[in-house]
Amino acid sequence: MREILKLGGILLLICAVAALALAFTNELTRDQIDYQRNLASEKARKNILPDAESFEAMDEDRLNEIVEGNNRVAEIYVGYKGDSIIGYTIKSLSPGYGGTLEVMTGIDIDGKIRGVRIGNHQETPGLGANVALPFFYNQYENKSVDTDLEVTKTDATEDNQIQAISGATITSDAVTSGVNIASNTFKKIMDK
Amino acid sequence: MNLFKNLTNGLFKENPIFFQLLGMCPTLAVTTSAINGMGMGLASTAVLVCSNAVISLLRKVVPSKIRIPIFIVVIATFVTIVGMTMEAYMSTLFNALGLFIPLIVVNCLILARAESYASKNGVVGSLFDGIGMGIGFTWALIVLGAVRELFGTGSVFGIDILGASFEPALIMILPPGAFLALGILLAINNVIKSKSA
Repeated sequence: MREILKLGGILLLICAVAALALAFTNELTRDQIDYQRNLASEKARKNILPDAESFEAMDEDRLNEIVEGNNRVAEIYVGYKGDSIIGYTIKSLSPGYGGTLEVMTGIDIDGKIRGVRIGNHQETPGLGANVALPFFYNQYENKSVDTDLEVTKTDATEDNQIQAISGATITSDAVTSGVNIASNTFKKIMDK
Repeated sequence: MNLFKNLTNGLFKENPIFFQLLGMCPTLAVTTSAINGMGMGLASTAVLVCSNAVISLLRKVVPSKIRIPIFIVVIATFVTIVGMTMEAYMSTLFNALGLFIPLIVVNCLILARAESYASKNGVVGSLFDGIGMGIGFTWALIVLGAVRELFGTGSVFGIDILGASFEPALIMILPPGAFLALGILLAINNVIKSKSA
């Protein structure tokens, strides 16, 4: 009995010192880590809505009103140039081949898609994962939100067509439906 | 003289990767480029040196029955500290190494040095042992990363070496390339060893 107490006591003491050291490090690095994380997402938003000078998260009440429980819209940021709103960045979730894909879409106030990027995903490397490369996501640039986009396996001839990556139609579909979700969300923002 | 031996032991004679084959998981996973290998190696070295020193200091107060949980607590603490510091000040490298930073906790190299050296020897010796093993681990990762980057992309440390006409063998920076490169390096190593013996 006495030995167990002694062993437990030593372990407790060492863990307490370790916890203290960690709390101290956390205190020192917390602000810098927050800053780095914000910088990274700010840069991502800037990529898909280049004209905006600053971004602000849409306030929660308005977000809920627009999303109406649609759990495939993850977040909406409002892009400002000076004081005026010039567009929105919308993160949507779309079921892909290997799990949920995060699709970020930037749409300007005239209803034109300015850029699309793929966030976290678990698609097959070398096939589906190639949707995260410029040759694929650049196809969405300058498309209009008026008509839903569709995927084609041959060369894109119509204005609302996106050419699928061969062998990765499911992933190409997933990204496109993610962009369509963003387009429809954008239309709701403009209506309300 | 002894300290010097501690240092060179890890560098060559008992190199963690090429001779002891310890810590293979991060070795195979992160060496897609020389810079990733170097980042992983240096992060592991920092953890190894700190944990070796602390475990050596604690060696007389730690009862042998609970030494393993205590070693793990010490190692995990240093891994978390290194991880937080890297995320704050080297965020690009941190993002590239991702999951493998927290996984330094279970790198068997670090626990092996704690168990077989630091818990039986003095602080200074353990420090040098940690530095030697850590740098040995680091240079092996850099070599592995450089070989894979060279054949997989034609460059080393991001500097183009083989020129534009070189057709990159993509497989070298994909997971199978790790096994191919490590196997070939171990074979070369064995040839050198058998010649010198």
